[in-house]
Formats: sequence, C-alpha cells, structure tokens
Amino acid sequence: MNFTLHIWRQENAKAKGSFETYKVSDISPDCSFLEMLDILNEQLINDHIAHPVCFDNDCREGICGMCGLYINGRPHGNDDGVTTCQLHMRKFKDGDEIWIEPWRAKAFPVIRDLVVDRSAFDKIIQAGGYVSVTTGGVPDANAIPIPKRFADMAMDAAECIGCGACVAACKNASAMLFVGAKVSHLALLPQGQVEATERVKKMVCRMDELGFGSCTNTYACEAECPKQIKRQNIARLNREWICQIFGGNKRPE
Amino acid sequence: MDTHKLIKISSITKKLLIGLFGAFLLVFLLFHMCANLLILLHDGGKAYGAFCHFMGSDFVKIFEIILFACFILHAVLAVWVWFLNKRNRPVGYHKPSRTKTAKGSKLAIVSGSLLLLCLVFHFYDFFFVKINFVEGTYMVKTEEFMNNSPTLEVSEEAQMVFLNLINDGKASDDMLWIRQISAEDKAVLQEAFPEAEFEPDFYTIAHQKFSVWHIVLCYLVFFFLVGLHIRHGFESAFQTFGLNHYKYSRLIEVLGIIYCWVICLGFAIVPIGVFFGL
Repeated sequence: MNFTLHIWRQENAKAKGSFETYKVSDISPDCSFLEMLDILNEQLINDHIAHPVCFDNDCREGICGMCGLYINGRPHGNDDGVTTCQLHMRKFKDGDEIWIEPWRAKAFPVIRDLVVDRSAFDKIIQAGGYVSVTTGGVPDANAIPIPKRFADMAMDAAECIGCGACVAACKNASAMLFVGAKVSHLALLPQGQVEATERVKKMVCRMDELGFGSCTNTYACEAECPKQIKRQNIARLNREWICQIFGGNKRPE
Repeated sequence: MDTHKLIKISSITKKLLIGLFGAFLLVFLLFHMCANLLILLHDGGKAYGAFCHFMGSDFVKIFEIILFACFILHAVLAVWVWFLNKRNRPVGYHKPSRTKTAKGSKLAIVSGSLLLLCLVFHFYDFFFVKINFVEGTYMVKTEEFMNNSPTLEVSEEAQMVFLNLINDGKASDDMLWIRQISAEDKAVLQEAFPEAEFEPDFYTIAHQKFSVWHIVLCYLVFFFLVGLHIRHGFESAFQTFGLNHYKYSRLIEVLGIIYCWVICLGFAIVPIGVFFGL
C-alpha cells in the first residue's frame, strides 16, 4: 500500500511548526500505524532527507497510553477502542492522504513534532488521585467485602491509560473523562472513600488551574477513548462534586 | 479561603448552575406550551383571556422576575463558559474533527444565541405589549366602567367608541369582558375612565399575528431552534446533576426525545392551527 503523509513538524516547543509531506510505499496492510512511521523514519535517515519524525510510543500493545496521534481528524485514527499503536494500515485505503497532528490543547504543549507534554495529567493525579495507605502486610484477598458490580465498575474506570485522547477529541480540551475515570475507580471502592471528598475537590481545582476546558456534554471523549471509558464516569464526578459542595459523607454509587 | 478563590467558580459549579437555570426554563416551556393550547379552544378567547388575566396578577410577577433572572443567568453563564473554553486550544487542528458526537451540544451555543434573537421578536409581538412598550390590542372588564363615580362626565367620543365596540360584538357573551380594543380606542376610553385597567388581548393578538404566513413560518423556525436546544438540554441536565446511571441513561435519552417533540409540536400546533382555522 502507498500513502501520502502530511506530518506536523516542529523543531521545539517554541518553534513555529508546519506540515511536511512525505510519501511511503510498499506498506503491508498488516503493518501498524507506528510501524509505518518507523519505515518512514528509516527512509528519512537513510536517504538523508530530514530528521526522523518524533512521536511518543512505548509498549505498542495498547496498554501503556504513551502513543497518541490525531489522524485524519480523529484521535488514535479511524478505528474504535484502539490506541494509535493498535491501528493498522488495513483501516486505510491504498493511496490515501493521511494528516498526522499532535494533540492540541493549551495544557498539552507540543515538545517536538508529534510529541506533547502530558505531565498536566500527572499533576492532576498528584493533586489527589491516590489512596494514602500506611504500608504493611498484604491484606487477605476478600478481607474487605466489595460487591461484584462495584468492583466491575471500578475496574472499567481504572482501565484509563491516561493517553489524553479525551482532551484531544474534546472541542473544549476538557479533561473531565480522565478526571472522572480517576475519581470513579477510587470512589467506588471502600479504600478510596475515606479521602473521596478531599480528592474530588483537589483534582477538579487542579484540572481547572492547568488550563483544561469545562465539559459541555458533547461526549467526543467517550467516542474516542481507546479504553471506551463511559460518560457515566463524568456524571459520577459531577455527583461527587455536588456531595463535596454540600459536605455530605454519603455518596451514592 | 481568600477572595480570589471565592470569585473563581469551578468549571463543574458553572455547569451545575447553567443546568439548574436551564432545568427551570424547561419546566417553564412545558407550562407555556400548555397555556398556549388554550388559544385553540373555540370559545372566543374566554379561557385564554382568563389565563392571561391571571398571569397579570402580582403573585405571578414574582415568578416573572425569577424567570427572567434564570434566562439571563443561563445565557450569561453559557456564553462565559463558551468564551473560557475557546482559550483552551490556542492552536487548532488542521483537519476538522470526524468524531461522532452529540450534535445538539456543539450547536447549543449557536441555537441558544439564535433563540435570544428570536426572543426579541417574540417579545415585540407579545410581552412588550404587556409592559406598554409596544401598542397592541386590549381587553377590559366591563365592570371597570361601572366602578367609576356616576358624577364623572364621559365625553361623547368615548361614548361613541364604547357603543361601537358593543355593536361590533366585541363584548363576550356574558358581557364580562370587552375585547379587541384597538390602541386608539383604548386611549380614548382610558381618558374617559382613568381608573379602568386595560389588559393586552393576547388571544386577538395571536390571531392577528398567526394569520400572516411569514410570521407563522418564523415561529416554526423558532420552535425548531427551541427543539434543537432542549434536545441537548434535557439529557445534558441529568448528566450535569450526576443523575446518569448505566441502567437509566437510555430511559433519560428517550424521555428527552419525547419531551423535545411534545414541546415542539405543542408550540407549533398553535400558529398552524390558527392559520388554517382549525
């Protein structure tokens, strides 16, 4: 398969970027998107055309959340429930023009080419997305009773890999799905409930400070999340926030 | 907590407030729509006139103030959030988004702004008459003329106007109300009976306005925009209040669609009905 790639090139965070056009040929349909970029980079190096294109990646099996490219108007490309590394070239047509852009958000500044700084997510987690436990002996499994349904919902929320596709897809660059998932997976479990009130306050305030937008219920985040985190997590975040305002300790699931 | 933090309202609180005011407006729309249906009754405006008379009472005025406050706060907060959100992506994407999303939400700011514009015209047609900003058609209780002191000299002109109104059949069957009083006639009568309280005859105004095809068309566009806006609003309010549950979200969505259609059709049937004389 042959493709024409329009890739955002930007020397560094301060430089003015622009799109560059490259052609790649003889790409196997079974090739993943990142492997296709590897082939391009090899070409660029061997033929002394340009610096290789920088892009984030790590596990390449869709679980680490490092990779993330805005491909033809969709974060992680034209496939549902996958990260960029799990997107395959068979999803494209031979001879397609592919536009590749970095995540665009005030909170995610471009570092170089397609690499963005997502440490804003880490800062939100540092604000309260944890459980303060005194370390000690490992408790017995099932020592704390948790209903199966709650455990399942917590697990679904905990699937979030923090790739930032929700922010990239959102027209307001809002991080509500990310924060919603992170608040949810702790709020649903007994261990997380002790600090739940403080957590939601700190994480939401930090999110606002870092320059993420506010949610307008467009659900682009839900549509593009590679882990298919549901909008119900945002509703739960709103619920937790209301509980926080009114200072109650009772939080419905 | 220092003042800076107090003024800074969290993004979720802003959303909650927009939702809260919006929810009140949703309930108001249902009320407004139900009241409008009275226009379609073939009773010469008796029921609708009585309703309008009730709406002019002081008790209702309190709700009117709350309603306008809700409208203004809902709009101001929404525009503020929209404005703030614009700043969160300084460099946009080259390729327009192809993500499948809830259309109503993306269009909410557009439909909302257009609705505000439509509201000005709607107010020009109806509400401005009530606050004597625009001249319209009026109605008055017959007893208002009786309350005047018998010594009061009534000019001949006023007597003529009064008799003409009675002769033209403008009085209701039970002689309680006189309707369809034009602005000029009202001015003459008002001078003769300074204590008489004239009220806008919205039944007649509605019939006058809705007999013109382009006004009917404008109102249908207006109702379409209302529908588009509440299609987003209804479901969105539940999500914002955290009343979204994996079990019931489908139900809420269906209810939202039903509510949207009920409001839209309920509003639309009045101008259509009046125009075609149903």
